[in-house]
Amino acid sequence: MPSYKLTYFNGRGTAEIVRLVFAAAGTEYEDVRLEQDQWPELKPNTPMGQLPILEMDGTMLCQSNSIARYIAKLAGLAGKTPLDQARVDMVMDGMVDMGNKFAYEIYYEKDEDKKAEKKKDYVEKYVPQFFSSLNKLASDGGYFAGDELTLADIAFYNMTTMVNPYLEQPLSLDGFPKLQKVEDNVTSNPGIAKWLKERPETPY
Amino acid sequence: MAPKYKLTYFNVRARAEPTRLIFAAAGVEFEDVRVAGADWQALKPKTPMGQVPILEVDGVMLCQGVSIARFAAKETGLAGKTNLEQAQADMFVDEISELLPKLAGAVFASDEAVKAEKAKEVDKMIPEKLGRLEKLSGANGHLVGDSLLWCDLVVFNVAFNVENYKPGTLKNYPKLTKVMDTVKANKRIADWIAKRPETKF
Repeated sequence: MPSYKLTYFNGRGTAEIVRLVFAAAGTEYEDVRLEQDQWPELKPNTPMGQLPILEMDGTMLCQSNSIARYIAKLAGLAGKTPLDQARVDMVMDGMVDMGNKFAYEIYYEKDEDKKAEKKKDYVEKYVPQFFSSLNKLASDGGYFAGDELTLADIAFYNMTTMVNPYLEQPLSLDGFPKLQKVEDNVTSNPGIAKWLKERPETPY
Repeated sequence: MAPKYKLTYFNVRARAEPTRLIFAAAGVEFEDVRVAGADWQALKPKTPMGQVPILEVDGVMLCQGVSIARFAAKETGLAGKTNLEQAQADMFVDEISELLPKLAGAVFASDEAVKAEKAKEVDKMIPEKLGRLEKLSGANGHLVGDSLLWCDLVVFNVAFNVENYKPGTLKNYPKLTKVMDTVKANKRIADWIAKRPETKF
C-alpha cells in the first residue's frame, strides 16, 4: 500500500475534508502541519504554490477537493456508478459555493454594517433555501448518493461545521430532517467519530 | 430518437461550454437547450439547486457545471486513464474554475467604477492562475498525459474568454498556447466552434 503524506497548516481549513475522508476510509496517512515560517521553503516545490498537498509514490497532488475525491475513489466513498459519482460531485460543488459565498461576502467584508446585513441574509434567506434544495437531494436514510456514506455527506458536514463558529448560533437543520440524518451518518461513522474525538483543537 | 443527454443553460458559453466541447470532441449527440426569461423562471424551481446548467440523463437531473462536465468526460472517455490521471486533470479544472465567474463579472459590469474594480482583481488573477497552469502543464499540447482530456477543454474555454478580454495574453504562456492550438486543430472541436451560437461570453 502506498504511504500517504498530507501537508497543510496547523488547522482544519481546506485540508479537513481530506482528513475526514481518510478517517472514514480507515486509511493511514501522515498528517503534516506546517508552521508559517516553514511554508516559504516548500511553496515553490508544490504543484501550484498552495496547500494542502498530498504526496504518495513520488507524486504530488494539490487542490483539496481533487485530493479528497482521489482518496474517496480508492476507498469506494466517491459513488458507485458514474451517475452517483456525478451526484456526489454536484453536492460537493454546492457546498463549495456555500463556503465561498460566506468567505467573500461576509468573512472578507470590512464594512461592519454591510457584514452584518450580509450575515443576516445568509442565515435567514440563503442557507434555508439552499438547505431546502439539499434536503430534497438527500435520501430518507440520509445519503446524497446511493444508500451509504459518500464524500458528499462528508462535504456537507465539513462545510456547515466550518461556517458555524463564525455565526451567532450554528446553522439550524430544523425542517430538514434528511439533512439531520446526513449529519448523524457522518458523525456516527466509526472512523470519523474517532477522528473528531482525537483531532487537534485549532482556531480554524 | 431523442439524444441521451439534454443540457440546459442560458444562451452563453460560460459554465455549460466545457460540456458542449466534451460532447463535440467525442462526437456524441446532445440536446443543447438555451433558456431565458419566463422559461427560465418556470424551470428554476424544478432544478436541484435553483441554477443552470443542468444535465438530464436517464431520468436524473444533474447540476453544477464542473460536475456535469466531469460526468460527460467520464461517459466519453475524456476524464483520464487512471485514478491518478483523473486527479491530475481535476487539479487543473479546480484551479482555473475560479477565474471564469470573476472574468464574467469584469466583462458584464455596467457601472464603470465597478467594472474598473473587477478588472483590477481579474488582471491580478489571470497571471497568477495561468502562471500556475503553465508551470504544471505538459509540453506536448496537453495539460496531462498524451491525449485530449476534459481539462484541456475546460482551460480552453476560460482562455478563449481571456483572449477576448485582453488579446495577446496567451502569448506569454507557450505550453498553454500549445494546448489551445491542439484543441483548435481538433476537427470536431473546430466544427463545433464554427457552428456554435455567437455569444459575448
